[in-house]
Amino acid sequence: MSGGAAGADPLIEFRHVTRRFGKGEKAVTAVDDVSLHVDRGEVYGVIGFSGAGKSTLIRMINGLEKPTSGSVHVLGEEISALSEGRLSKVRSRIGMVFQQFNLFHSRTVAGNVGYPLKVARWKKADRQARVSELLEFVGLADKADQHPEELSGGQKQRVGIARALAAKPDILLADESTSALDPSTTAEVLALLRRANEELGITIVAITHEMEVIRAIADRVAVMDRGRIVESGHVYDIFSNPRDGEEASFVGAALKDRPSPEDVLRIRQHTSGRLVTVSLKDSVAVGSVLGQAGQHGVGFEIVHGGMNTTKDAAYGLLTLALTGESDAVEQFVGALSAAGAVQEVAA
Amino acid sequence: MIETYRDLDWSYYGPTLLEAIGDTIYMVAWSFVFAGLIGLAIGVTLYTTRDGGLLANRPVWLLTNFVVNLIRPIPFVILIAALQPVTISVVGKGIGNDAVIFVMIWASTFAIARIVEQNLVSIDPGVIEAARAMGASRTRIIMTVMLPEALGPLILGYTFVIIALTDMSALAGIIGGGGIGNFAIVEGYNRFRPEVTWLAVIVVIIFVQSLQIIGNWAARKVMRR
Repeated sequence: MSGGAAGADPLIEFRHVTRRFGKGEKAVTAVDDVSLHVDRGEVYGVIGFSGAGKSTLIRMINGLEKPTSGSVHVLGEEISALSEGRLSKVRSRIGMVFQQFNLFHSRTVAGNVGYPLKVARWKKADRQARVSELLEFVGLADKADQHPEELSGGQKQRVGIARALAAKPDILLADESTSALDPSTTAEVLALLRRANEELGITIVAITHEMEVIRAIADRVAVMDRGRIVESGHVYDIFSNPRDGEEASFVGAALKDRPSPEDVLRIRQHTSGRLVTVSLKDSVAVGSVLGQAGQHGVGFEIVHGGMNTTKDAAYGLLTLALTGESDAVEQFVGALSAAGAVQEVAA
Repeated sequence: MIETYRDLDWSYYGPTLLEAIGDTIYMVAWSFVFAGLIGLAIGVTLYTTRDGGLLANRPVWLLTNFVVNLIRPIPFVILIAALQPVTISVVGKGIGNDAVIFVMIWASTFAIARIVEQNLVSIDPGVIEAARAMGASRTRIIMTVMLPEALGPLILGYTFVIIALTDMSALAGIIGGGGIGNFAIVEGYNRFRPEVTWLAVIVVIIFVQSLQIIGNWAARKVMRR
């Protein structure tokens, strides 16, 4: 599914949402004037350092947290205005997956997956059929009668996902769903989330501090820092464009796609050329410009960079040290800009 | 000692002891059922109404907490005397096994409430959050998530409680109740027959050990360790 094909009504909408904890001097603003919308069928990622307010943000979607001001609209309801009793109905249409899995230890795997169906008052026979179907979907059909503590981390999360999908929700919330897992298990769980989105058409909101998660599954992403959304858009655009200023810090740090100040110092030790970073959005065009460097009378050395892949496309940044007559270099940078966005690297 | 027991008049002590055991079981069982249920309700109230709890409600929590702390420290023997007027008006008389049961319920309910609360505190809050996120009602969460998740420790807690009740029931004789404690004092101690007192001790040890073994077994089965 390529997201963002904006429907008439977004499935989830935040309007100027602020959430404060505590009062007076000690008050902490976890979410600060956030407005966003998520469309049906897309995977929306929210990335940020821990403490950025992501957890609070995602919990406002199913009413586990209430905004201090602003409003949250989900599935046509103003969720932030519903009482706990009325929330139950909407919540049964929103599944949630947790970092620590939060499985019921008092129930078997099948009991865990079947629990939301009991809540939704499914008949026993329907429940059993649905549970087998889901365990099949997550590849744990043989574990139905085991207890959660007998499973590995990845298996636990797959049970968590099966449980979250049980009542056929419209929305799946993934709260750091892979942060407690090792890299190979992470890939497995991400592939499962992607399948849930593609095969079941479920809309996913995933919060994470891992760039890997965004790259693997998200259509659009919001970068969150200290309660605010500092950047948002299609994953490819956000990751492939050179960025400026403080708001670039998270994406830059997470992608490692541009030299850090320490890298620059090290690079400077062996080259005095002009340092520029060029976007590899159109890597063929960039390549052909680089091929003509000699004709411009410019030498170049690749000092930093690499390619990454998102759900839809590859992108990357390349940092070059350019040597030659300053006019020639200037001209060459102009040619380069035509192939991909160019940014100077501060010495 | 063995000689002495052979000399005992078993045609008298046999039935008397059996009756005493019956009285103890009667008192312990009834007070366990009532205090167990009321204590469970109060314990759940303490846990859920605290700040950040499922039913967070400061006034209710303060009141419940205050009452629990008020009654729990009163020594059982004083409670028997102090509650006498209430016992008479509720049970109909101030003496006998039923009167003892009434006081035992008062004495143990609040202790049970604390034990229940302490075991519920150990539940992972994430599990409760997961159930909330699924749209489960608060009553459903208490009945189908909280209590089952804490079942193993709760069984151990209740095993402790039933043994404490056995202990309390031994004082029944003070207001004309029966039971093994009364048997030990009336038939043994008061008549200078230590071997009869020790007979009671042995019976109590077997009784308590059996309860503990059953409790441990059940808890282990639930916790699958």
